[in-house]
Amino acid sequence: MQHWKQYGGLTALFATFLAAGYWGFTATGGALPWAKRSAKTLQRGVQEGGGSLVNLGRGIIVAGPIRKGGMMVEFGGIVALLAALGVGLYIYVDRYGGLNDEQPTG
Amino acid sequence: MAHIHLGEGSFPLWALILWTLIGTGLIGAIVYRVRKGGIKTHQIALAGIGAAASFAVFQLNIPVWGGIHMNLTGLVGILAGPLLGSLIALVVNIFSAALGHGAVGLLGANTLVNASEAIVAYYAFKTLLGMDWDVFPASASAATLGLSAGAVLMGVIIVVSGVNGSALPRGDLTIAVAGLVGLNLGVAVIEGLLTGFIVQFLASVRPDLIGLADRDSKEEPTGVTA
Repeated sequence: MQHWKQYGGLTALFATFLAAGYWGFTATGGALPWAKRSAKTLQRGVQEGGGSLVNLGRGIIVAGPIRKGGMMVEFGGIVALLAALGVGLYIYVDRYGGLNDEQPTG
Repeated sequence: MAHIHLGEGSFPLWALILWTLIGTGLIGAIVYRVRKGGIKTHQIALAGIGAAASFAVFQLNIPVWGGIHMNLTGLVGILAGPLLGSLIALVVNIFSAALGHGAVGLLGANTLVNASEAIVAYYAFKTLLGMDWDVFPASASAATLGLSAGAVLMGVIIVVSGVNGSALPRGDLTIAVAGLVGLNLGVAVIEGLLTGFIVQFLASVRPDLIGLADRDSKEEPTGVTA
């Protein structure tokens, strides 16, 4: 398919969704974290609100229930475990071409 | 991306039962298909990596659109397929709920939401590739469409269930939820772009991972036993 059709379709999709996103952003209170936005909106309905779309000063933070609940170690542990398992399996499969019959997959 | 963050007890009991039963049915059907049809071993490895990436990014709030988190479920669906993608959605939601991110009672509903993202993204990607699209626009569009499907399903689940303690009549609740869904569509663009770049990169270095070339190995579908 011609490139302009592909990228034209992608651009139209993105433009439509970004417009919907901006409406949703303002209609649900503006610059609020998702959990607060969700609770507030579902209790009080849509309310106009402002604030910047991007707030780099806030940085990237771990979700509140984990951060405030003192479970950062558990979070890190699960991520490390899943990552090690996935990478280990990937390397094993890539190197040896798959699991053999003596090691059923499930 | 789409994820119901309401606390325990937010949904009426009948809704909890309904979504849990539907979620259980979906996972049951998937497990049955996996056991019957088998899966390739490299997909299991990809699923492990996908679960790790999805879980990690699930917990990270990025300072865009007020503060949102991504799921990478579109990417997971494209890489691991609809079956393993749905199982990854279940695993990620269980771990997240165990850490307090998302209610345990909403595991069924949230699994449905995230599984739908992976499933729609996978089939949209395959369809667009079949229409001779390039990898980047196909994967970015597919992930965006998948995530939007999850966002809409999230909205439908909330509106159908109703929210305990909310004084909003159903009509106002629908408008309020539409705002949340709309915001998710905007976020889907960001995640769709990210997914497009990742899949494009993988297609250039390991096209076999996304089914664009035969794997240079001897492996066959292994089936799943026990």
